[in-house]
Amino acid sequence: MNYTTNDISAISNPAADISGLIKDNGIHSSLYTDPNIFALEMDKIFQECWVFVGHLSEVPKRGDYIRRHIGCEPVLMFRTGDATATVLTNRCTHRGNLLCQEEKGRRRAITCQYHGWVFNLDGDLVDRPFSGGYCDKGGELDLRKAKVAIYRGFVFATFAKNPVSLEDHLGNGRHALDRASNLSPEGELDLFGGWTKHIFNSNWKMLVENNTDGYHVNHVHDSFARGIQVQYKYENVLKSEEDKLEAFVRDMGDGHAEIEYGQTYSKPLFWFGVESDRFPDYVSSMEAAYGKDEANDILTKGPPHTYIFPNLFIAEVSMVVIQPISAGKSINWNTPLYLKGAPDAVNRRMLRQGEAALGPSAFLLADDAVIGDRQWRALHGSPGWLDLSRGESRETVAADGTITSHYSDETPNRGFWRHYRTLFS
Amino acid sequence: MNETVSVISDDEYRKVERFIYKEARFADESRYDEWENLLEDDMIYWIPRGEGDFLPDRDVSILNDNRSRLATRINQLKTGTRHSQEPRSPMRKIISNLMIDRISENEYLAHVNFALFEMQVQSLDEMNIWAGRMEYKLRESEDDLKMFFKKVVLINGDHPVPTIAFII
Repeated sequence: MNYTTNDISAISNPAADISGLIKDNGIHSSLYTDPNIFALEMDKIFQECWVFVGHLSEVPKRGDYIRRHIGCEPVLMFRTGDATATVLTNRCTHRGNLLCQEEKGRRRAITCQYHGWVFNLDGDLVDRPFSGGYCDKGGELDLRKAKVAIYRGFVFATFAKNPVSLEDHLGNGRHALDRASNLSPEGELDLFGGWTKHIFNSNWKMLVENNTDGYHVNHVHDSFARGIQVQYKYENVLKSEEDKLEAFVRDMGDGHAEIEYGQTYSKPLFWFGVESDRFPDYVSSMEAAYGKDEANDILTKGPPHTYIFPNLFIAEVSMVVIQPISAGKSINWNTPLYLKGAPDAVNRRMLRQGEAALGPSAFLLADDAVIGDRQWRALHGSPGWLDLSRGESRETVAADGTITSHYSDETPNRGFWRHYRTLFS
Repeated sequence: MNETVSVISDDEYRKVERFIYKEARFADESRYDEWENLLEDDMIYWIPRGEGDFLPDRDVSILNDNRSRLATRINQLKTGTRHSQEPRSPMRKIISNLMIDRISENEYLAHVNFALFEMQVQSLDEMNIWAGRMEYKLRESEDDLKMFFKKVVLINGDHPVPTIAFII
């Protein structure tokens, strides 16, 4: 096999070749470094699977749009109605000009600045200057439109011709979106905080795997543990003794995975580093919305730490989107997990905690980024097999098919690659 | 503002300028203790996502430290295992276009432009160039000035940026 050329056709049977790079408990490093494999992923994963694009709260009014990417493809997400959005390729069908350069804005229609072609918010071509020069081509020149499905305000899109339902794609991962949204007394997130965009000089899948890797925490984040007075939420996970860790990992199937911290919190809002009396208005609004018992359960268990295949990560107090740029470059997007209807003080605390953990200057992610960079460089220069066997023999399979194991086990990685392999077979 | 106190004397200008050069030198050379000695207890160190109407309590920032979080940051840098600054980045910052406003009898607001050259030696062995402007709020304290606010506005702050684990 030759993985050094940039010509995708050099892989005669890509699916078979990629399957050969993934074992049950290990993978080959070319999955991170090979530009041909990256190109295949953009096609097989980011074009064919449901991909997270944005949250409805980011485009609150009809005509509001945000610029995003589905893999490498530039797209626009438009709010089109009460609970509807469109996702359109940000490329004029005439001569390929980028239609919107601003990161966000509001439009009644999309007019290309090159020759003035006009599209409506559903992507239909509705006007062309000097129309006398054209024979009608029907809908052929409409913008490329993704299929869109929305769950609790999370907007997903896919270019697949016959995609599975979003419900099937989300599988058990749906519970994480519920768990995050249910922290709001109105049952909705309200993502108005904007995003930091942090460059990682490593492969997008390294960011993915790191997010549900409990094993690295004591090592990569040693300086954070020693730099702060360890308390509340960090108390359990920064313990160095293997048998005292109560958090555990879960392979949720379909590529989704999480670290479950719920049972490490003994009281409501412990995950937030406070007790209930700090935010009495929040607690009472939650009790009014869900009833006392359920509110208590929601507030004790706290937010998810869950990765949704392929590009969404709910990082407890933040939401993260992983954007692949090339085999060796990715962008980690981060916004605070603002809760609709929660007191400002609660959302402000969410913001401050998120800034501590995620972003280019954060106590945690700055170090994850540099480790990823080093890993990528070492693998690029010294390819070979990587071991993912940790915890193989001590996993527990639940009735719903999810697999749990010790906090430090590589169960989430194995689940990710098991699903990944199915997409290339 | 009262016009009679708004004029900055040459002596005051020099004093603020000296402080800013000193602060830049300590930051560039990762002299954390000396840098920390320049701070007041009400210090805010803020890197918003560039220019624009970003509000520190609404819009997510690249960094937003009060004095206690900044102490944690410096403690972390001093542990020896802050991988994103081990080894520390060799850096040099060029500062210019100094303008000074008076906030009160004993407080100044200084504006500068800067270009910072950072050798990223932790993983890439490549040079990063950072550019933007900074605002300092300084207060007369005993014999010298101290800093109680520093805002760093990167020209690319709202775009993808590399790790900034050093004191900028």
